[in-house]
Amino acid sequence: MWEQLFEMIFKPDFLFSVIRITSPILFAALAAVVAEKAGVTNIGLEGIMSITALFGTLISYWTQSWAVGVLGALIVGIALALLLGFFALKLKTDIILGGIALNMIGGGGTIFLLYLFTGLRGNTGELTTPEMLIPQVNIPLLKDIPVVGEILSGHSLLTYIAFFMVFLTWLMLYKTSLGLNIRAVGENQNAADSVGVSVVRIKYIALGISGALAGLGGAYMSMYYSRSWNSGMIAGRGFIALAAQAMGQGEPTGSMWSSLLFGLANALKNKMEGMQGMSSYLVASIPYVVTVLGLVIYAVATIRRVKKTRRAQNAMTAPAGEEK
Amino acid sequence: MRNKRMFLFEAARGFAAILLALAVAVIFIALCTDDVGGALEQMLLRPLFAKNGTFNANSLWVVLSRMIPTIFTGLAVCVMFSANQFNLAAEGGVMLGGFLATLVGIYVPMAAGLHLVVCLLVGAVAAALTMLLPALLKVKLGASEMVSSLMLNYIIMYVVLHFLNNNFADRSKGSTQTFPFLQTAAVPDLVPNTDLTWGFVIALVFVALVAVFLFRTRWGYAIRMIGINQAFSKYSGMKVGSVIVLSQVIGGFLAGLGGGIEVLGRYSTFLWRELPGYGWTGVTIAILAKNNPLMVPFAAFFMAYLERGCELMRTNAGVPAEMLDIIQAVIFLFFAAEQFLARYRQKLVVKGAREEMKQAFDSEAAAKGGNA
Repeated sequence: MWEQLFEMIFKPDFLFSVIRITSPILFAALAAVVAEKAGVTNIGLEGIMSITALFGTLISYWTQSWAVGVLGALIVGIALALLLGFFALKLKTDIILGGIALNMIGGGGTIFLLYLFTGLRGNTGELTTPEMLIPQVNIPLLKDIPVVGEILSGHSLLTYIAFFMVFLTWLMLYKTSLGLNIRAVGENQNAADSVGVSVVRIKYIALGISGALAGLGGAYMSMYYSRSWNSGMIAGRGFIALAAQAMGQGEPTGSMWSSLLFGLANALKNKMEGMQGMSSYLVASIPYVVTVLGLVIYAVATIRRVKKTRRAQNAMTAPAGEEK
Repeated sequence: MRNKRMFLFEAARGFAAILLALAVAVIFIALCTDDVGGALEQMLLRPLFAKNGTFNANSLWVVLSRMIPTIFTGLAVCVMFSANQFNLAAEGGVMLGGFLATLVGIYVPMAAGLHLVVCLLVGAVAAALTMLLPALLKVKLGASEMVSSLMLNYIIMYVVLHFLNNNFADRSKGSTQTFPFLQTAAVPDLVPNTDLTWGFVIALVFVALVAVFLFRTRWGYAIRMIGINQAFSKYSGMKVGSVIVLSQVIGGFLAGLGGGIEVLGRYSTFLWRELPGYGWTGVTIAILAKNNPLMVPFAAFFMAYLERGCELMRTNAGVPAEMLDIIQAVIFLFFAAEQFLARYRQKLVVKGAREEMKQAFDSEAAAKGGNA
C-alpha cells in the first residue's frame, strides 16, 4: 500500500494537482494576510468565497464570458468585504461575528440566491458552457521541458495569477506607502493615527483588497476547479486559509508555503481516497488534521523564537549590568 | 431609572434589528412569489395559529421540540464566549455527543432510567474532552481557538462518519444509519406522540444551572471577568489558563449533552451524515441572548419559530427555506452592532445625566433652603 502511495506521489501529475488544489487556498490565504496586516480578522472568507463563486458563475452565464465572470466575482468580493467593514468599523459589530454572518449567507443564503436568480436548487451544473470556464494556459518553451513542464504548464490562468499575487502582495505591503500604512495600522493603530494616517480608511482598503483576493479564489472554485457552483463546495477552504495565514507568520511568502502544504495534504487525500484498505472518511480529514498540526508547529516555533530573543536580550544586558 | 431606560432602549434596538431583517425578508419574498401576504402569513402566524385563526397546539409542540438542541448549544456558546473565546466547535460537540450516546444506547444494556443517564453522560463527557484541544492549544501555545475549533468540527465529523460507515452501520437499511437503540435509552415524550420530549424540561433545568454557575459562583465570576479584561484578571490573581480551559470544557459538555438528548429523543437511530448545524444556531442564540443564559430560551424560541415559519413558507408558498440563513445573518449583524442606533442611546444618556444633575441641584437647593 505504501509503495503504491509513493509511486503515486513521485509523478508529475501529482505535483500538478498539488498546484491546482493550492491555488484557491493561496488566494484566500493572501486575503487573510492583507486583512490581518491591517489588524482585522476576516473570518468571513469562507462565505465570501462561496458567494463570489456563485456570482462568478451566474455573471459568466449571463454574459457567456469567463472574463466578465471573474471580474464580477472580484467586484462582489470587494463589496462583501466592504459591507463587513461597514458593520465592523462603522457600526462596531464584532468583526468575528460579522464574519460568521457572512458565512451564514455563504451557507444557506447562496442556495436561496441561486433559486432566486435561476430557479435551480443547489448546483449550476446544467448551466455550464465552455465559454464560462477560465482557460488553461500552456506556457511556450516551459511546456516542452520534461517533468517540469508537465508540472508547471497547463494550469488555469488564475493559478498563475495566484502565485504572481504572492509577489504583488509582498510588493504592496513592503514597497508602497499604502503597505507601510497598512502595516502601521495593524502594528499600532494609535501610533498610526497620531501621525495622521486615517486608520478607518486604511482598514477599509485592506478589507477591500482582501475581498478581491477571496473573490478570485471563489471564481477559481466554481469557474475552473469544479466547473460549476454547488452548495458546500468551498468546504472549509476559507477557514484553512486562516490557518495558512497563521502558519505563514502572516507573511505572503510564508503563507504560500503553508498553502502548498495544505494543497499537498488535499492532493494526498484525493489520491488515497480511491485506494483499497483506506477509509475514505479518515482520509478526508487529513487536510484538517494537517491544519491543526500546522498551527501547533507554528505556535511552538513562535514561543521558541520569543524565548530565544529574550535570552539574547538578557545576555546583552547582563554584562552591561556587571560593568556598572 | 437610567437602567430601566437603557433596558427599554436595548429592547427597542433588538426589535428594530428584527424589523429590519423582516423588511429584507419581505423584499426577497416579493422576488420569489406574487402572494407576499400569503407567504408572510405562513412565516409569521402559521407556526402557532391554524388557518381560521385558532391556536394550533400541535404546531407549538413542534416549535418547542426544535428548541431542545439549540438551547443546549446556545448555553454552550454563552459559556465559551463569556470567557472571550471564539470557540466554534459546539457543532462538532453535538455530533460527537449524539453519536456516542447512541452507541451506548445500542450496545450497553442497562436498567431503565440509569441507561439514559449513562448514555447522555458518555456523549457529553466525550464532547467536553474534545474541547481540551482548542482550549489547551490556546492557553499553552497561543494558537487561535477559532481556527482550531473550526478544524475540529470537520475532524469530528469525518471520524464519526468513519465509524458510522465502517463499524456500526445497519446494512439492512437503504441509508447509512446505526441499529436502533434500546428503548431504555430513549428520552421519554413530554407530550405523547409528539417530538416534544422531557429533553425540553432538562434543557430548562440547565438554563437555570448555567445561569447560577455564571452569575453566582466563583468560577462563573472568573470566567466573566476574564472575558471582560484578561490582563486585569491575571494581575488580580485568577488562574486565567485553567478558567479558560474550564469554560471551554463546560461548553463542550453542554453541546454533547444537547446532541445526545436530540438523537435519543427525536430519532430511533443515529442518522446524521453531516454536521447538524445546531452549533451555528447556538452562536446566533448566544448573540441574541447577549451571553445571558436566562435569555437563551427566548432566543431559542425565536429561532425555532422562524425556522418553522420558513419551512411552512416553503411547503405552502414555494419560497425556499434557506432564506432563513439570510434573515438570520441580518439579525445577527444588527444585533451585534454596538453603534446601531447609538445616536439615540447617546441622547438617552445625556438626557438621563441632565435629569440627575437637575435632581441633585434641586435637592441641594432644598437642603440649602432648609438650612437657611
